[in-house]
Amino acid sequence: MRLQIKDVGMRFGKLHALQGVHASVDGGKVVALLGPNASGKTTLLRTIAGLIQASKGSIELDGVKVNRMSPHDRASKISWVPRVAEVAGSFSIRRVVELGRYALGPSPMRVDDALAQVDLLDRSETLWHCASAGMRQRAALARALAQRTPGGLLVLDEPSSALDLSHLKALGDLLRLCASEGDVVIAALHDISFAMEIADEVIVLKEGKVVLAGETSAVLTPSSLGGVYGLDLTWAVDDAGKRHLVMP
Amino acid sequence: MNIRSITTITLLSLCLLGAVIFRLIVTRNIDGSISLALPEDQYFVYRFVPLIAALIVGAGLGVSGMGLQVLLRNPLASPWILGLSSGAGLGVMAMMFVEHKYNVGFYSGQSVGAVLGALLALCLVYLLSRRRGGIDPMTMVLVGVVISVICGAGIMLLQHAVPMGLRGSFTTWLMGSLPEVEPWWKLAVFGAFTILGTFLIAWWGPTLDAACLSDDEATSVGVDLPSIRRKLFVASSVLAAIGVILAGPIAFVGLIAPHGARLVVPGSHRTLTIVTAIVGALLLVCADDLRQLIDLGSGRLPIGIITSIFGGLVFLVLLLRNRGRV
Repeated sequence: MRLQIKDVGMRFGKLHALQGVHASVDGGKVVALLGPNASGKTTLLRTIAGLIQASKGSIELDGVKVNRMSPHDRASKISWVPRVAEVAGSFSIRRVVELGRYALGPSPMRVDDALAQVDLLDRSETLWHCASAGMRQRAALARALAQRTPGGLLVLDEPSSALDLSHLKALGDLLRLCASEGDVVIAALHDISFAMEIADEVIVLKEGKVVLAGETSAVLTPSSLGGVYGLDLTWAVDDAGKRHLVMP
Repeated sequence: MNIRSITTITLLSLCLLGAVIFRLIVTRNIDGSISLALPEDQYFVYRFVPLIAALIVGAGLGVSGMGLQVLLRNPLASPWILGLSSGAGLGVMAMMFVEHKYNVGFYSGQSVGAVLGALLALCLVYLLSRRRGGIDPMTMVLVGVVISVICGAGIMLLQHAVPMGLRGSFTTWLMGSLPEVEPWWKLAVFGAFTILGTFLIAWWGPTLDAACLSDDEATSVGVDLPSIRRKLFVASSVLAAIGVILAGPIAFVGLIAPHGARLVVPGSHRTLTIVTAIVGALLLVCADDLRQLIDLGSGRLPIGIITSIFGGLVFLVLLLRNRGRV
């Protein structure tokens, strides 16, 4: 699997949400998409997932344009985890996860595995409107896991925003696992430490343009990232000897 | 379909059968007393026709309401949100106006007016709600409201232009009532369309389940949203239009029936569609049963009044029981 983002631009009226975005990612990599609020992260992810069509340029998976794929093909190759999952009906968490198999055919085993991977197997009959924000976010992740085909594309929009520390750790492990099975994993994140922990590569957006891109260790430095966010950042070293970017 | 669903459908069907039998045998005598006996043969048809109409209209409005609630992602959606009843009302009023003004009579004038008005309103709502090749739910709600208001203004204008007697006739239509005389072919055609529409929406059940996710999520799991929305719009509109043509504007059944069905079989829309059809038919037959028992000295109440009063109360109870979550 090879994801290519070719000169992608997106306009909403007079607003240029994305301009000239180029990137190329091979399977087996976790890519963190960083940037300040309103920098175009969600728009880029929705474009990559084929949910909206770019005003300019194209997104290709192994040379095939995403917006030319049939709904079935897209569902079999691309899994999407939204920042906030929404369900209008009176469904259990299990049913919501089962919907990930909508186009691909039912698979109770895949659904059970996915529920177990996000620690929701024993609470799978909880009704959606009774679930906490964290449970909903994990359920959305489980739906994508039940849907995904190894070697595909997993797109996540702030998947960690409602997770506690233990589930954040589990999320990181899951994303690494997916990458080890050949997936391209691309996730918008605000947690820089988490991004440093899990990402092989980083793309940093600002005002719709790529301002930094490359290997995580090379890109995430106090000076480069401080410039993007307009902050003075520095390294801090924890007890395990790991370096973290912090505000002094 | 699991055991719970099968049990629920069986129990509801038995309730419907009971309500149907009651409707066939309940008789209000000249002295105002109630007796239970089958009518004489020549009067049987006057019970059978409204009963069949109640089954068709109730099931159709219920399923239509459920389809629209999914289409518009709005639990308060009902067939009237499409401007259908006001469009049909304007059609009826326009037909009356033409008949009066030019002193002509049309075959089934009111029905033809209702069909034309409903179709016109639906076409306008559909065309104005299109966005990027599909239907935009929020735009559809707003357009439906605007079309309703415009049709309402047209109705008032025409009411102003016709004599007082015709205004009364139109007011009666507005109350909604089950027909006692209808050609059998008409009931057969409408019945067949209602069964077909219900079957189709039940068939699309898994897609409706997935369409309950947000647009992005539904698209990501493989739902062709523009396609299912177009199909739902057409099926729901036809079912609601049949209701309006047969019985005029019957309120609340399209809103209450899906919610009642969800209380007994939460989850999959395939089962929910079948249960909603039974609940809708049950509601309207029960309302018809009830109006046979009420005598306010001015003849039997139009069924639309019963559904409005009891539907409103039931909806309020549901709303309070679920603390605002319908």
